[in-house]
Amino acid sequence: MIVLGSTSEVAQAFVEKALQEGEKFEKIYLFTSNKETTERFARHIDVKFLQQSEVIELDLMKPIDYNQLDYVNSNLIFCATGYLGEGTEEGLYDNKNTERIIDINYGKLVPLMNYFAQKFESKRSGTIIGLSSVAGERGRQSNFIYGSAKAAFTAYLSGLRNYLFDKKVHVLTIKPGFMATKMTEGLPLNPKLTATPKQAADCIFKAYKKQKNVAYVLPIWAIIMMIIRNIPEFIFKKLKL
Amino acid sequence: MKPNFVQKVTNWGNFPIVEKEMKSEDSFKNIRDFVLNHNEVIARGNGRCYGDSSLGEHIFSTKRLNKFISFDRLNGIIECESGVLLSDVLEISVPQGYFLYVTPGTKFVSVGGAIASDVHGKNHHAEGCFSEYVIDFKLMIENGDIITCSREENSDKFWATIGGMGLTGIILSAKFKLKNIESAYIRQESIKAENLDEIFRLFEESESWTYTVAWIDCLQKGGNIGRSILMRGEHAFQHELPENLKKNPLRLKKKFEPTVPFYFPGFVLNALTVKIFNFLYYKKQSKKEVKSFTDFETFFYPLDFVNDWNKIYGKSGFIQYQMMIPKETGKEGMKKILETIANSGNGSFLAVLKLYGKENPQAYNSFPFEGYSLALDFKVNSKLKKLIDKLDDIVQEYNGKIYLTKDSMSRSSLTNYLKNVQSSKFVSLQHKRIINNS
Ligand SMILES: Cc1cc2nc3c(=O)[nH]c(=O)nc-3n(C[C@H](O)[C@H](O)[C@H](O)COP(=O)(O)OP(=O)(O)OC[C@H]3O[C@@H](n4cnc5c(N)ncnc54)[C@H](O)[C@@H]3O)c2cc1C
Repeated sequence: MIVLGSTSEVAQAFVEKALQEGEKFEKIYLFTSNKETTERFARHIDVKFLQQSEVIELDLMKPIDYNQLDYVNSNLIFCATGYLGEGTEEGLYDNKNTERIIDINYGKLVPLMNYFAQKFESKRSGTIIGLSSVAGERGRQSNFIYGSAKAAFTAYLSGLRNYLFDKKVHVLTIKPGFMATKMTEGLPLNPKLTATPKQAADCIFKAYKKQKNVAYVLPIWAIIMMIIRNIPEFIFKKLKL
Repeated sequence: MKPNFVQKVTNWGNFPIVEKEMKSEDSFKNIRDFVLNHNEVIARGNGRCYGDSSLGEHIFSTKRLNKFISFDRLNGIIECESGVLLSDVLEISVPQGYFLYVTPGTKFVSVGGAIASDVHGKNHHAEGCFSEYVIDFKLMIENGDIITCSREENSDKFWATIGGMGLTGIILSAKFKLKNIESAYIRQESIKAENLDEIFRLFEESESWTYTVAWIDCLQKGGNIGRSILMRGEHAFQHELPENLKKNPLRLKKKFEPTVPFYFPGFVLNALTVKIFNFLYYKKQSKKEVKSFTDFETFFYPLDFVNDWNKIYGKSGFIQYQMMIPKETGKEGMKKILETIANSGNGSFLAVLKLYGKENPQAYNSFPFEGYSLALDFKVNSKLKKLIDKLDDIVQEYNGKIYLTKDSMSRSSLTNYLKNVQSSKFVSLQHKRIINNS
């Protein structure tokens, strides 16, 4: 398995879930921008599941030497790379913040995804799982830069799915709603709408096994988003969301 | 939206409830920043202490320190971060033929919490406290440094931290020994006792058993005081097991775990329901003595099968009163305690009696010493404090003490046995309460 964004608690929970369910991987490649905590995770899965893995430090904001990634190969890729950044109030006119959000969630991420997609395409097998966001379904005043980057990523995944369909590669888009992770800690989230990383991992694993195309982590989000998508724009623009 | 880490926090007894800052981190640098940037910090594991020992102004939750570090499968030595739960340890160790030397009555406690409370199990008389099997641990101290503590290295901090209730710093990780087992089953005997005399005799007769514990029906009066069931057990060897368990002796089948979905309304738990519960519990076993093989989960963690059972006590919460009386006067003291409870009409759902072995003098902050302890759950209500005062009187009279990790109400003179832990950085609400009252 190839994991992009390995410090993500959802990614880690997914790796554990897959191993618990008896999935076999020759090696797990853990891409990360934080070597220290990811190495701890690598040791953890070695102790718990005798699973071999390799930590590969990669910073999307720096140029990537793809030649060095030549040997990285697998049948499954899990992309949890993401960056919330500052919301509209603090960060809209801060160009550094805006660029970073766009780059990490979309701009710099897509070339990396493409690099692996090409490997999958040439092998004509495999699954690509991408974590997008419900924030990408409609731009809301509170964090639409993040939302727009995720919207782009969602569109990318759907296009990729379409493109790779007859090449026998499956693409799964995950749209988590609120999640109780480090990224959201300290925010007043409604517990009924918030999934733990473990819940998310269970649901993603199920969707992966069933070869779903798009899955929400908590079913309630499918309903909420359907409503939000259908609010007419002349009303939506007046809402404080 | 800016994050605001202030939230409602409460431990297993749902009493007290506080609104304080709670944060969890997994990067050591960020943990250091948290420690250095706050005046009063306290570590919190899985909140399975009943009262206020892991509550404070700035709570550092170890829930993200949840990784294993190493497992020496040959010698049964495991190292993990402090937020790893004992249930996580068992998940990987039992199939490999290893069990915890010492486990409390729930497996949902963290390794850090087990060290900070120096927990004991049904085998204290035979195998002591959790700390006996701890090889070393890493502790973040006041200045943010991380030090290794063992019997040889920083031994003063090692012993102060054991049973030190988090007041010496944050335990980041620990290395400890596991014991060999041949099966995941326990050879168990349960024996009914009619009264206190009988149960005390049974305890003393059972001293050669590794695990002993008794459940007491504490609403009985007069000659029936101390009506109880003693349970004793040993890890079963493979050859002893019944045929159907022999094939896969280290693996248990998955069981259904019911969850209590909401807080029970207050009226559900009253003297009558407690009476009925205890009646059924004792009548369930009709024979005087039952021998059986039970899986380790049922034997050690019968309460874990009902997730969130603490909600049965309703929103006002409950406390656990666990005290200890020296062996010589144990019976006499327990009798007084049980009489006082029976007369108060304030029933306890759960009363657990246990005989303890010799204390470890080096672990001077640990709770147990040679004697008997009784653990009682009480629903919080307006009359409770009065009852606790009375019980405290009796415990004091008999030179007993009460268990800090369960405490939230008791008199400070029974609890302030913490030595060498004073620090201006690591402060819990419990310690403040105790110091203010002494
Ligand atoms: C059903 C039930 C049965 C129980 N049975 C027993 C029993 O048989 N024997 C027994 O001894 N206890 C028993 N307990 C109590 C329990 O074992 C202890 O309270 C244990 O310490 C709880 O661990 P925790 O991880 O939940 O820690 P918490 O409850 O969060 O904290 C407990 C204490 O440990 C400190 N602490 C936690 N983590 C750290 C850390 N990383 N570094 C420094 N300090 C830390 C806290 O500051 C606090 O003082 C039982 C509890 C329950 C709910």
